[in-house]
Amino acid sequence: MKLLRTVLDVTKKMLTKHPLLGKLYPIYEATDEIFFGTDKTTGFAPHMMDAIDIKRYMSLVIVALIPAAIAGIYFYGLRVIAIILVSYTFGGITEVSFSVVRKKPIYEGFLVTGLIFPLILPPTIPLWMVAVGVVFGVFFGKEVFGGTGRNIFNPALVGRVFLSMAFPGYFATEWQEPFIKGLGGFAAYTIDAVTSATPLISFKSSQIVSEYVPLLFGSAPGSIGETFRIGIIVGGLFLILIKIADWRIPIAYIGTTWICSFIGHAFHPDVFAPPLFQILAGGLLFGAFFMATDPVTSPLTSEGKWICGVMLGILTVLIRGISGFVEGVMFAILLMNAVTPLVDAVIVNMRYTQTGIAVQEPKVAEKRMYDRRKEDKK
Amino acid sequence: MKAKTFPGGFWFRKYRGQPVDTLINIGVPSQVIIPLSQGFGSSCEPLVKKGDMVKAGQIIARDDASISSPIHSSANGNVRAVVKMNYFKREVGMVVIDTDGTDSIERLDGHSPAWEKLSAEQLEELLYLSGVTALDREGIPTRFRSSIIMPEEVEDLIIHGACSETYNISLELLLKGKNLFDFVNGIKILKKIMSKAHVHLALSKEKTDLIEKIQKLVSHMENFTIHPVVPKYPQGYDEVLIPTLLAKKFPYGYSAANIGVVVLNIQAVLHAFEAVTEGIPVIERTMALCGPSFRENIHVKVRIGTPLEYIVKGRVTDEPSRLVINSLLTGIELNDLFLPIDKAFSQIIGMPEDAHREFLTFVRPGMRRDSYSRSFASFFLNAKKLCGTNLQGEERPCFQCGYCVEVCPVKILPTLINRHIRLGIDENLMKHGIFNCIDCNLCSYVCPSKIPLAKNLKEAKSKLVDSGCDHSLCILPRFNLKGLEEYNGVKSIR
Repeated sequence: MKLLRTVLDVTKKMLTKHPLLGKLYPIYEATDEIFFGTDKTTGFAPHMMDAIDIKRYMSLVIVALIPAAIAGIYFYGLRVIAIILVSYTFGGITEVSFSVVRKKPIYEGFLVTGLIFPLILPPTIPLWMVAVGVVFGVFFGKEVFGGTGRNIFNPALVGRVFLSMAFPGYFATEWQEPFIKGLGGFAAYTIDAVTSATPLISFKSSQIVSEYVPLLFGSAPGSIGETFRIGIIVGGLFLILIKIADWRIPIAYIGTTWICSFIGHAFHPDVFAPPLFQILAGGLLFGAFFMATDPVTSPLTSEGKWICGVMLGILTVLIRGISGFVEGVMFAILLMNAVTPLVDAVIVNMRYTQTGIAVQEPKVAEKRMYDRRKEDKK
Repeated sequence: MKAKTFPGGFWFRKYRGQPVDTLINIGVPSQVIIPLSQGFGSSCEPLVKKGDMVKAGQIIARDDASISSPIHSSANGNVRAVVKMNYFKREVGMVVIDTDGTDSIERLDGHSPAWEKLSAEQLEELLYLSGVTALDREGIPTRFRSSIIMPEEVEDLIIHGACSETYNISLELLLKGKNLFDFVNGIKILKKIMSKAHVHLALSKEKTDLIEKIQKLVSHMENFTIHPVVPKYPQGYDEVLIPTLLAKKFPYGYSAANIGVVVLNIQAVLHAFEAVTEGIPVIERTMALCGPSFRENIHVKVRIGTPLEYIVKGRVTDEPSRLVINSLLTGIELNDLFLPIDKAFSQIIGMPEDAHREFLTFVRPGMRRDSYSRSFASFFLNAKKLCGTNLQGEERPCFQCGYCVEVCPVKILPTLINRHIRLGIDENLMKHGIFNCIDCNLCSYVCPSKIPLAKNLKEAKSKLVDSGCDHSLCILPRFNLKGLEEYNGVKSIR
């Protein structure tokens, strides 16, 4: 600890002396803050601060993702670790270079994007494609909007959509069968590329409803992190329990999916899959617990959260059933991301029209006008 | 009885350093400094001049024309000077008195242990002359212009011991033994003055013993209700208490008195009883010394006007610490220990100035740390928590976690208003209810990005008012407000 402190102090001296190296100061700052926390104190009331900060907030999301990530490694081999590392490295470089150019501290929001992104990719994805996807996602999904907290779309989903548009082949057919015997993927870098259709694809093409237990435990093919659904549910409930994720969106999302597919399945069983299958197949649970609840891109008001969850459910079932796409979660979430500011604005307007504040506004404006006229006369 | 509460807020549970039920009388200091503006009301002109002999309990400032209550000398001695001083960001006149060390107190004329025989007018006069009427945010109405409304106009009288702050003065100590009966009689005295008022006693639901005891004593009383409340911060605020207990809406920006409600705390009722039955004016306060920076967390009985230094000297630990008055969330930091205490003080909180850096602080379990999120071990193990002044993280851009929206007791969206403030301060902010904000500072407290939301809102509000924006237009039509002229008259001093 003392050694680390000395190393950091020496680095700081070097960085502050050298004009060119000084541009890398945000990197030093971020490292320093990660290891040693802050020495700042409150300057005014409130004199005491809540103990949570963004570092802890984001690390806890990562903790909640760990079951899904470890299951991904078990099912698809140690190459998954390489995928995650590539995602973190290239996404990190993008984030850091933006901080350096903007001369702002490095924000922690990327920590979650860097782990979520690999978990929603197909297991056979080449490493270079991971790098391209994460750079695109972080750059066009987040940085161009102004960085952490200002993005409209979930950066991980932007990267994933880009890849599925640019390289559709990898996302249509090549879904690897998970390796579920013995040590599984823990002992091997890659596993034999036996590919098969995902449950959603087989329903679309031949109306086969796969069994629920393999879906729950992850022995059905799918994206790296979305198949071990027990782990996802546990992680999601953990986040809700510690108040990091909001409970309204997952409940509204899953509930609406159930209702909509129940109705749809009753009338068109060959178009709409049965409710429980809809919920357990594909990325719905992962999306509901980890992506739809992303605070930056989900509504701020609780009414907005309910609306968002319900719309997500309806959109997912419709896209899966009627459109040419097999999976609707990704597009549903991106669509709702786009209308989130609108939902919030409508809710806020309604709220204050009810309490009568907005009604009074003209009077104030009139008074202003009156005052201005008086000043003009003078 | 089910405890009443409100949506939002945060319960500061189990902080280390709560005051114990010990009371020490720390006596009369060698010099007292009496502010000429204390509690509710405008400041008074002094009746004494340099060199005058004064006695403890003697009225040294009084102004019957404006809304105010008399000010008393709190010790026997000589007036050394009458000066103006900067007292918590206000310019206030002060009477400096060199005391002679005796602790006798001048009693009021006309006090009587048999208070039932006194008329309402006599009671009011006693309360006014004793200075009790200046206590708490809106004072106690009497026909001597001690509040903005008349006693007959009071519809509801709320007495609260919500204990919703991080550190609270001990109600068990205040209402120990005989004091409990005094308290109930105090309520009866106030009821006699405010004849049309329904009395509501709001007590923290944790104080089950106290609630039971009082329930037995008041079972025969009419127009009296006890409400257990959940001690969530900021339950003790008028703006939150009234909607919680009475199902009335609050005219944000105005006072409780404007809708015919008087809110008092428990110590004010005890002072009222003392003034009427024993004729003791308000020249002493019971104060709690709370927080980990005090060697002993006890209660002290001090004369008003005692310099802070006399109270805290030798009682604070050696490590660097910060002293805050009344509340850790909204209180003012005490930098100048020469300043005296007044009627509004009820506790001093001392906490360590916590600038030291902790290794890998964000991954520690956090046994001693408190958070609105449940992400620390202290929530699940129900451990005792420590307070400190550390910022607990770096300032970051808002990522809309929504904590401030969830905790806001008046249901505005602090982060959204803050975003609008950054775009420019104009009347558009009023559409988002910026003047509903009651300055409880809870949004700043819970923010994981450490954004000073409450400060930004407060500054924007004062800028709006300065630029001639009449915020009272926001809420007026729905309320039948009382004493409005007087309210505008005293607005400047609040």
